[in-house]
Amino acid sequence: MIIEALIGVTFLAALVVFVAPDEYAGKLAAALSALPVLGSLWMWAQYDASGNALLGGSIAFETDVVWLTLGGLDLHWFVGVDGISLPLVVLTTILTTLAIVSAWTPISNRESQFYGLMLFMEANLLGVFTALDFFAWFVFWEAVLVPMYFLIGVWGGPNRRYAAIKFFVYTNVASLVMFIGFIALVFGLGDSVSSMRLPEIAQALRAGALGGFAGLDAATLKTVAFVATFLGFAVKVPVAPLHTWLPDAHVEAPTPVSVMLAGVLLKMGTYALLRFNFTMMPDVATALVVPIAGIAVISVIYGAMLALAQQDLKRIVAYSSVSSMGYVILGLVAYTTYGVGGATFQMIAHGLISGLMFMAVGVIYNTTHTRMVGDMSGIADRMPLTAGIFVAGAFGYMGLPLMAGFAGEFFIFKGSFASTVHSAMPLFTAAAMFGIVIVAGYLLFAMQRTLFGPFSFDGEYEITNAPTHDVAPLAVLLLLVIVLGVAPDLFFGMIQDAVNPILSGGGL
Amino acid sequence: MVGIFDFAPAIVLLPFVSFLVALAVGDRLPKGGALAGIAATAGSLLLAAATFLTVAGGRTYDATIYTWAEGIEAVDLTFGILIDPLSAMMLLIVTLIAFLVHVFSLGYMNDEGEVGLPRYYAGLGLFTASMLGFVVADNLLMAFMFFELVGLCSYLLIGFWFREPGPPSAAKKAFLVTRFGDYFFLVGVVAVFATFGTAAFSGSESFPVLAEAALHGEATVNTFGFAPQTWFTIVGLLVLGGVVGKSAQFPLHTWLPDAMEGPTPVSALIHAATMVAAGVYLVARMYGFYALSPDALAIIALIGGFTALFAATMGVVKREIKQVLAYSTISQYGYMMLALGGGGYVAATFHLMTHAFFKALLFLGAGSVIIAMHHNEDMWDMGGLKEKMPVTYYAFLSGSLALAGIFPFSGFWSKDEVLYETLIHGLGGSPVLLAAYAMGLLAVFFTGFYTFRMVFLTFHGEPRTQTASDPHSVRWNVKGPLAVLGVLAATTGLVNMVPVEKLLGIGGIDFLHQWLDMSTESLNAHHYGELIPYSSAYIGGEATTVAIGAGVSLGLALAGAGLAHLLYNVPEPVEHTDRLGGIKTLLYNNYYQDEYQVWLANGVTRPVARVANKFDQGVVDGVVNGVSSVSLFSGSRVRRIQTGVVSNYAVLLTLGLTALLLAFGLLGGWFV
Repeated sequence: MIIEALIGVTFLAALVVFVAPDEYAGKLAAALSALPVLGSLWMWAQYDASGNALLGGSIAFETDVVWLTLGGLDLHWFVGVDGISLPLVVLTTILTTLAIVSAWTPISNRESQFYGLMLFMEANLLGVFTALDFFAWFVFWEAVLVPMYFLIGVWGGPNRRYAAIKFFVYTNVASLVMFIGFIALVFGLGDSVSSMRLPEIAQALRAGALGGFAGLDAATLKTVAFVATFLGFAVKVPVAPLHTWLPDAHVEAPTPVSVMLAGVLLKMGTYALLRFNFTMMPDVATALVVPIAGIAVISVIYGAMLALAQQDLKRIVAYSSVSSMGYVILGLVAYTTYGVGGATFQMIAHGLISGLMFMAVGVIYNTTHTRMVGDMSGIADRMPLTAGIFVAGAFGYMGLPLMAGFAGEFFIFKGSFASTVHSAMPLFTAAAMFGIVIVAGYLLFAMQRTLFGPFSFDGEYEITNAPTHDVAPLAVLLLLVIVLGVAPDLFFGMIQDAVNPILSGGGL
Repeated sequence: MVGIFDFAPAIVLLPFVSFLVALAVGDRLPKGGALAGIAATAGSLLLAAATFLTVAGGRTYDATIYTWAEGIEAVDLTFGILIDPLSAMMLLIVTLIAFLVHVFSLGYMNDEGEVGLPRYYAGLGLFTASMLGFVVADNLLMAFMFFELVGLCSYLLIGFWFREPGPPSAAKKAFLVTRFGDYFFLVGVVAVFATFGTAAFSGSESFPVLAEAALHGEATVNTFGFAPQTWFTIVGLLVLGGVVGKSAQFPLHTWLPDAMEGPTPVSALIHAATMVAAGVYLVARMYGFYALSPDALAIIALIGGFTALFAATMGVVKREIKQVLAYSTISQYGYMMLALGGGGYVAATFHLMTHAFFKALLFLGAGSVIIAMHHNEDMWDMGGLKEKMPVTYYAFLSGSLALAGIFPFSGFWSKDEVLYETLIHGLGGSPVLLAAYAMGLLAVFFTGFYTFRMVFLTFHGEPRTQTASDPHSVRWNVKGPLAVLGVLAATTGLVNMVPVEKLLGIGGIDFLHQWLDMSTESLNAHHYGELIPYSSAYIGGEATTVAIGAGVSLGLALAGAGLAHLLYNVPEPVEHTDRLGGIKTLLYNNYYQDEYQVWLANGVTRPVARVANKFDQGVVDGVVNGVSSVSLFSGSRVRRIQTGVVSNYAVLLTLGLTALLLAFGLLGGWFV
């Protein structure tokens, strides 16, 4: 029942905040959002399941009841977590609270609606990461888009309408493609599944129960469905060349929304890829390893090159997300413990680090009202604490050892280099790894230009140390990044345990 | 029983604690946290000395102390401590110099009224901890991790004066160039894991031992379709990328001269004695792996010999005292690489040790001069400082004699052994080694010249400026470390007097050989001697070769020093290198190595990035916008949607969701 409580409390909190007076909304939202944080940490402490939730492992905090019957299929309220989803639940709750606190400074109109939508989004995100029935999962999946759409469209920058529409239409079309692909699979399975529960579907698919559908034989159907779902999720990740909605959304979105977008929403894409494509159809994934690994490498290098060309700090961080998520795809397709486990770990690591970087850029923006590299210089002189955390976060992004990003990236590299799915995997790995040089290039360059050198700033604002409630979330995130970098096993153990069942059987 | 090895983690952790103290409360402590750093490094020094004595008793230690990532149905990634004669010696060197540099910093930073001292001492503490962690690492992954952390500290300390334009730029360059090398290193690390399933340095299941067994057909490892010999060479060269970056070898040496923008004690500790040594130390640490690959060894020797000569020629024309020392550092690490490539494991380690002492001494001596000169580093503004600062002068002279390789100072013994080992292995049938040897030998002359040009310009003759005739005085905290290192630079050569042993037939005075032979079976010098793919040959007999080798290199060093004496040890020296004309311009501009690297970054990579950006905005995003405007919504509809009020979106979204669910239900009902 803890999962229902978690989601329910968050929904209720959203409602309460929505009707609260604007002046208290921020503090109230922060306080209420601490409840799911405590809940998720309790779940982490109590977690005792093992194996993969979709492949017959035990499921923690499970609820499975028939909800309604639609068209001959039972739709279940079926939620629970395993070692893959629990870390994402923890990430979601912590990041939401910190994002809410980081919104206190920049958000100054319609506060109650803003914070209400943030909490509403959190509730749906928790649903996405815990739902184990396709129907419930899809409802949450789609419902996440709604608050995000408003958060960008109402509180965003000058070009917010375009960015919000682009985000919504792009990701919704992607969802449609994915939906059609997946439903075709369910029909292909025919009578071998009696419900839309993901474990049932996954196990049936891996057992080879798929029949033909709509004139396609089983093998073709599976490939078509794989490609359709892959494309649908790839937009969310986003994978190059399906990424162009992301920089627009980030540039227009206010800082706390960017934090959620980069920190959690992108992980919906990689999480779904892992749950659906790579868990349910490993045979297709390994048959398509060259295009998938190729896309991963292109995302890493192309995303990093784009980041190198940017002058807006936020765009730099936005494009570098494309690069970092490319590593995740590479790890997933490797089909090794370290590859897939590292990809899952990297989702958490990148969630924390990109959140940290967006917040750091936000704190600078709150003070200077500009994010352009050329508009300021030497601001470390006036904002030493923020600059110090910025530097630490940037090195985290560059994959400095003993910070979470290195753990995720190294696990992926180690796993994908040793992967046996294709003889070219070492070459793909070595090519993707060059991203660690480019990321150092653009972040060091940006820091040299903005933080260091003689102080100069053209704007009319006085530049001083940021208020404590702006810096505190940064410090918390930095601490988490270091803790996870020093002790990745806090999550990596349960992740591996949930990942290993994926790696054998199912046509592999 | 609790033994001294149980305290080994404390050697690493004490400076880390001083980092935390300086960072957290440094601004409330006297001396900005310096005392915490001094106490911590003194503690580490004592523990390292105790460890050294225990190792001298014939004991070694290798234990896993922390499982960083526990593999489930996969390998564990661990941190462990490996203490053997090599690492025990390195621990002693690093802790001693770190301690002296902390003391010296009191004079260089505190007494000069610098601001930001807690940040400075935090950086020094973190660096010392990371470096010591690297030294004791018992596997390649842990070594890589601390290798990167010392790079971070180097970045932070080079950029210490971040309010000026120069240091942040130099810091960026240092990190970026070494990161380029570390990329190859990291590929090497994952390749080692993929090949051997372990990255341990020591023990019967270590990767060098497995590689040796695989070459003899006694073990099977995954060599990715290559012959084992070829694949091990590839892996070795990948790891070597990190070595070339960190030890500032050609072509990744360009960051080190720029790194002189950092405070001088930092240059002494990080950019001369310890961090730059990390690359060479890494090759020595896994020498059992490199010794299996003749091609890798040949490449190491060539890089080393070439770098030694190449950097020495640039040192000849520099005006600033720290620049001379920077190029000299690059050159001296070239000698160590030459020795490693030439099969001289002990020689390389020996030169690593003597160089750490004499180069730290020279940098600290230069620091003392810079204090005296009110932070003017131009040697042409100095002159005649000998009388004004005798302690600095004699210490600096001791270091200079060692650097130039003049008998009986420490550098003579170590450089001689480097060249000797390369020579006999080259004569044994390796023309590549002979070529590398020739470059190394020629560099001896340049070394003698630039070293004494620096000494004479700085300390001899008449003061050439007002500042030089009335220099700022320095205190005990500067003179003390100089005196200690001055004695070490003069005497540490005595630990390994191989030429004396060979010429006079006195057995048992090659203490360093004996020391490094005491390590475990797979890590001792004797084992490496059997592994290396070289045979030895001599000119005449062994003693004759020793005499000729030592005589020639000493003669060249004296010739270089003598030429410097003729040209610069005069009351009013002039810049004789101007007569080199265009060559001087070329040397002064470092063979335009910086230009081409900056061009690669700014002239090639940035334009490519800009083109990619244009492509992304125009083509990739253009297609997206085009598709959306023709198919899903017409352009005008999108505009109408965009201008609508918020509630319209809600309606739209709800409708969309409902339609999807409806379709889902209908289809479901239809087909099942």
